Amino acid sequence: MATNTCKEFLNHLELWMEGERHPDAQAHLGSCTSCRNLVEDLNNIHQQARSWNLEEMNLSPRVWEALRFQLEQEGLIRSNDPSQPESSTAGWFSRWFRILPRPVMAGAYLTVLIVAAFALMKPIDKQINEARWLNGTQVSTTPLHAQLNTEQKVVYSLPNTNPVVTASLQKNMAIVDNYISLCEKSVREEPQNEVARDYLYDAYQQKADLLAQMTERGENAQ
Amino acid sequence: MPEADAIRLAQQGDAAAFERLYRLHSRRVYSLCLRMVGNTAEAEDLTQEAFLQLFRKISTFRGESAFSTWLHRLAVNVVLMKLRKKSGTETSLDEMTEPDEESGGPRRDFGGPDLRLSGSVDRVNLQRAVEQLPPGYKSVFVLHDVQGYEHNEIAEIMQCSIGNSKSQLHKARMRLRELLHEALRDQARENRKAASADSGSEG
Repeated sequence: MATNTCKEFLNHLELWMEGERHPDAQAHLGSCTSCRNLVEDLNNIHQQARSWNLEEMNLSPRVWEALRFQLEQEGLIRSNDPSQPESSTAGWFSRWFRILPRPVMAGAYLTVLIVAAFALMKPIDKQINEARWLNGTQVSTTPLHAQLNTEQKVVYSLPNTNPVVTASLQKNMAIVDNYISLCEKSVREEPQNEVARDYLYDAYQQKADLLAQMTERGENAQ
Repeated sequence: MPEADAIRLAQQGDAAAFERLYRLHSRRVYSLCLRMVGNTAEAEDLTQEAFLQLFRKISTFRGESAFSTWLHRLAVNVVLMKLRKKSGTETSLDEMTEPDEESGGPRRDFGGPDLRLSGSVDRVNLQRAVEQLPPGYKSVFVLHDVQGYEHNEIAEIMQCSIGNSKSQLHKARMRLRELLHEALRDQARENRKAASADSGSEG
């Protein structure tokens, strides 16, 4: 139960916590357990808050990557590092992916390929074997793989205008090839699994789409 | 690179200077955001937003106040804006506190021996309680008690008087104490329930 003296003490409490020791407040604290507990609680809260030190803070590097990307997009910063060509498509492409969380990155990567395929619509192999898959007559993936690899050799022999962009596309091709390897492994292990076959088909389609982009670039260069 | 040089170069658009300023201050800003919202993903987004605003305006920085004060003012505003959006209402800073109905001061609570918090003010409890504070109290509490800013600096960051900063801090601590007591009481009630359930099942 609060007493008048306790109420008076409360009027001094804010200053007390700031370190100002009024004699009346000091006298009251000496005799009132309630108010001593109150002061102790407030000190505990203050101490605990102070112990939330900065060492615990692990700020993801993604924040800076995203921030830098945004600043570049807005034209607010320029890089002094000649090893990073800021204006190149490849730089933009790779940084765009770097700032995204991994699951988003995977999704975005596939989306970009699909969108690019629709945009460029270079019909290298878009129709390849689709009917065979749909009719269930595609028993082996080897012909598809071989066909795409042949296309790849042709595309890689084409001239290009920007080695940085080409290097980036080739890097992306390596990622798609890895994806294909994984899908092929799944199909080999479970040949009747329709989902695995769909994934493999998607993977080949991505490769075809990427080849289409690279061909487009080669033709532009001529 | 010293901060003053980094600021000057950043004003000219130098990428390395921007990064330097970010590295110097990001953890502190992130800490502020994290304590204010209690969620790492949200705190990262807010940190990014605060720095984005900072870098957009850096050419206007003339050094009237300390750079970190300026940055923290932006960060607090970003967080408060976010909290306002979350609550779905536009509120002024004055409305973001909970004045006592009778006196306009904090609700008064006297701690009896049974209500002592000693030992129960751990980080988890305190973070939960801080999250429940009104944004105005929360800002001052985090800036002062967590980040160690002085009242004159907080007054500059929050653009209020020093007296207001002190008063908000006091109210924040008092409210936190209430919230921690409520949590303690809830915990005790749960324990009693569990104990009676156990003794019921044994009998």
